[in-house]
Amino acid sequence: MMAATTQQPLSPLVPPLTLERPVVWPPRVEHTLANGLRVVLVESHTIPKFDAQLLFRSGNAIASHIAPGLAEMTAACVRTGTESRAEREIDETLRRMGADLGCGGGADNSSISFSGLSEFSRDLLLVAADVARNAAFRAEEFERERRQKLEEIKIERTTPGFLAGERLRKVLFGAHPYAVASPTPEQVAAYTREQMIGYYRQHYVPGNAILLAVGDFDPPKFIAQVEEAFAPWKAGAREEREYPAPPQLCGRHVHFVDFPGAVQTQVLLGHRSITRQHPDWFALSLANALFGGAFNSRLVMNIREAKGYTYSPRSSVHPLRQHGYFSVHAAVRNDVTAATITEMFYEMDRMRSLPVGADELADTQNYMTGVFSIGLATQDGLAGQLATVYLNDLPKDYLETYRERVRALTLNDVLHAARKYFDTANAQIVVVGDRKEVGDQASLFGEVSWYGAQGAPIG
Amino acid sequence: VSKLNIPIEHATLANGLRVVISPDRAVPVVTVGVYYNIGFRLEPQGRSGFAHLFEHMMFQGSEHAGKTVHIKLINSSGGVLNGSTRYDVTNYFEAVPSNALERTLWLEADRMRSLKVDKENLDNQLAVVKEEIRVNVLNQPYGGFPWLDLPPVANRNWHNAHNFYGDFTDLDAATLDDVQRFFKTYYAPNNAVLLILGGVDPAEGFALAKKHFEAIPAGKLPPPADVAEPPQTEERRATVQERLGTVPALAIGYHAPQRRTPEWYALAMLDQALHGSRAGRVYRTLVLEKQIAVEASGGIHYPMGDVLDYNGPMLMVTSLLHKPEYSADATIAAFDQVIREVQQQGISAAELDSVKVKFRSDYFSTLEGGMGGYMPRFGLMHYLACFTLFDDDPTLVNTILDGFVAVTPEQAQAAAKKYLVPANRAIAIRRPKNAGVAEAA
Repeated sequence: MMAATTQQPLSPLVPPLTLERPVVWPPRVEHTLANGLRVVLVESHTIPKFDAQLLFRSGNAIASHIAPGLAEMTAACVRTGTESRAEREIDETLRRMGADLGCGGGADNSSISFSGLSEFSRDLLLVAADVARNAAFRAEEFERERRQKLEEIKIERTTPGFLAGERLRKVLFGAHPYAVASPTPEQVAAYTREQMIGYYRQHYVPGNAILLAVGDFDPPKFIAQVEEAFAPWKAGAREEREYPAPPQLCGRHVHFVDFPGAVQTQVLLGHRSITRQHPDWFALSLANALFGGAFNSRLVMNIREAKGYTYSPRSSVHPLRQHGYFSVHAAVRNDVTAATITEMFYEMDRMRSLPVGADELADTQNYMTGVFSIGLATQDGLAGQLATVYLNDLPKDYLETYRERVRALTLNDVLHAARKYFDTANAQIVVVGDRKEVGDQASLFGEVSWYGAQGAPIG
Repeated sequence: VSKLNIPIEHATLANGLRVVISPDRAVPVVTVGVYYNIGFRLEPQGRSGFAHLFEHMMFQGSEHAGKTVHIKLINSSGGVLNGSTRYDVTNYFEAVPSNALERTLWLEADRMRSLKVDKENLDNQLAVVKEEIRVNVLNQPYGGFPWLDLPPVANRNWHNAHNFYGDFTDLDAATLDDVQRFFKTYYAPNNAVLLILGGVDPAEGFALAKKHFEAIPAGKLPPPADVAEPPQTEERRATVQERLGTVPALAIGYHAPQRRTPEWYALAMLDQALHGSRAGRVYRTLVLEKQIAVEASGGIHYPMGDVLDYNGPMLMVTSLLHKPEYSADATIAAFDQVIREVQQQGISAAELDSVKVKFRSDYFSTLEGGMGGYMPRFGLMHYLACFTLFDDDPTLVNTILDGFVAVTPEQAQAAAKKYLVPANRAIAIRRPKNAGVAEAA
């Protein structure tokens, strides 16, 4: 048995925990501009800086019928200059203010993130607003970004971890846009400036956005600066789109991506799961942390600490906005590929069959509530937690009640969550490795579909 | 420029363990670190990778906290933990709710006093470390580039030039005796510093440090490893094959002047002008304007650390992924033009001022976090530890910026002329195995 279940009793010398200090969630100041832009501020005076995120509730998914990866490519172009500021001027202005500004696009959201010294907050807000409103999409910068993207996706296809994640998304989401992790070279070659401009005009609008800021500022003064920078932004509303349903997958299936010469095998198994809005989210989060989400989890103790198969195995629940998915991951030496998959299923099934120990439950509750408090201690940690709430339409008191809700979970809640959401019977098994070396081991777990690193099926 | 005034209290225990406390009673979280003055640069000759393998062994059990207990107790107290092996230090750190402070100190003291591991633990972690090297280096495009590529090209002293992650043959040769000897030699309290930051009352912190650490006997430390590099007289280059990645990679490293000298401060500011953000001259010229490179990054001690957390010879690194249609020579020529410009024209007072503002701003962020949201005050802990072990003065955290702020444009230009010359550099190239495109330039 693994070390986790044969633990020696703790030494009586271990000092007890002392009285807990209260964790106080700092108050939020909310404000909405006339054009519909919502603003949420939290003071944090750890350093004389602030951290802000202008978040748009649209990403690659909503534009997938136009071009895959469009939100991400648009974000890269947005960063390259505005009507009145050339790229170099933006970069040098930011540096002069001790600031950083980055644009990003994921499946559900796009963002303009910026942080800098508080003394320059007004000027930094003006630059950020300019980027949000007046991106120029100059042809030369667009071509440069396109070429960079092309080289980037070629390198991705030589990265085993990427290939595993990409294949799992394809399998789990089918015709739903979440299936696409990255565009193909042909799709990148087909991007046009007009597509970027269209996406920008449609989705970079105040009614689709929220501005979160955490930092060393005086909220009324900061709001006045936000008004100055963002009030001229023309109103525009959020748009929604319907997507095809992801497939219902029945039975285990192996999806093998051949990576000749691999000196290690990537194992990634998973299935679809719930989102953060689901009432079972807390119970599943706890089940996941206990199973494979923390260093002190059953999976890590088993296949790393007891067996030495792998360096950094983990499980996660990925909560995208419409659907989540659950995955278990390890990069292992070739000869223990089958053994690893066996242990992953064993640990999942153990969670489904038997209640966890009361001590394990208490330990995991402490872990989750403690890590939550630690996350409040930095400006970007705070900003990240706020983003989670606002991007997922979570209840207003989500952060304030998080710790109580975790502490209220019972052994039964965890058992039910594991039974309902650790779907070992229908898990999809992705393996990225050298087919000649480990193909036979992967075949033990079900029918196999074989793929090449470029994504195409092979015989 | 506002002066930094971070509260710092420090003391040395009877056994030589230094203790540094930086309180902020407002927070319910405390960060604890123990730093040992032994890094991969300092590991014994012929034992490549041992310092890092040993770091793993420190999680395998001590007298009163057996295998997995350390991890379990920190996680179940609501905390996170990790360790890392760097050039000159190995660190172990935890962020926990402040009610777990004494428990955390007890755990760190127990493993400083008594490493209790067996052959099974060693075999287990040897296997784990090999998978770590495979996932980060051997089975990864550009794995280990350039931090494993440049040192053997640039350096002649084994300490600076060997494989820091470890050759598998050296790792396999490790015995339990080696583990215990390394522990006795380097993990003595008088070769370490304990840091407590955040939600702690200093008087209580010092009392707890005494209670748990002071009885650990001091060790007899070996003479410090000689890490001096013989002077270099001509450019050094080496090319190896990139097995996975699709475009060529190229890294250039210049030997930097000694820490905390006026020339070092000057080169650090020049480094920021070259490598800091997208406005940096290297990124701007090679990626944005000439579009020869698709990625560019760099810095002193890049990518393993920064200008403030090492002690000994170090390179200022530029790391590039460039388009296959440009040859390595053409890419280097374009880079050289960037260097020539700063040598011939210098950098303006305005550019230097702006670089200093950005440096200060980045410094604040590093102090506050430095390892993402999950490790508050990681950077503060890290710098306090380095300044204690290297300079015997943790309060440098509050004053170190002064030296950078004092740099003049003339000093920066002089540093460029003296240090950014071919005879002072090494170039490491990775040529992709599957490069199908003919070189056009």
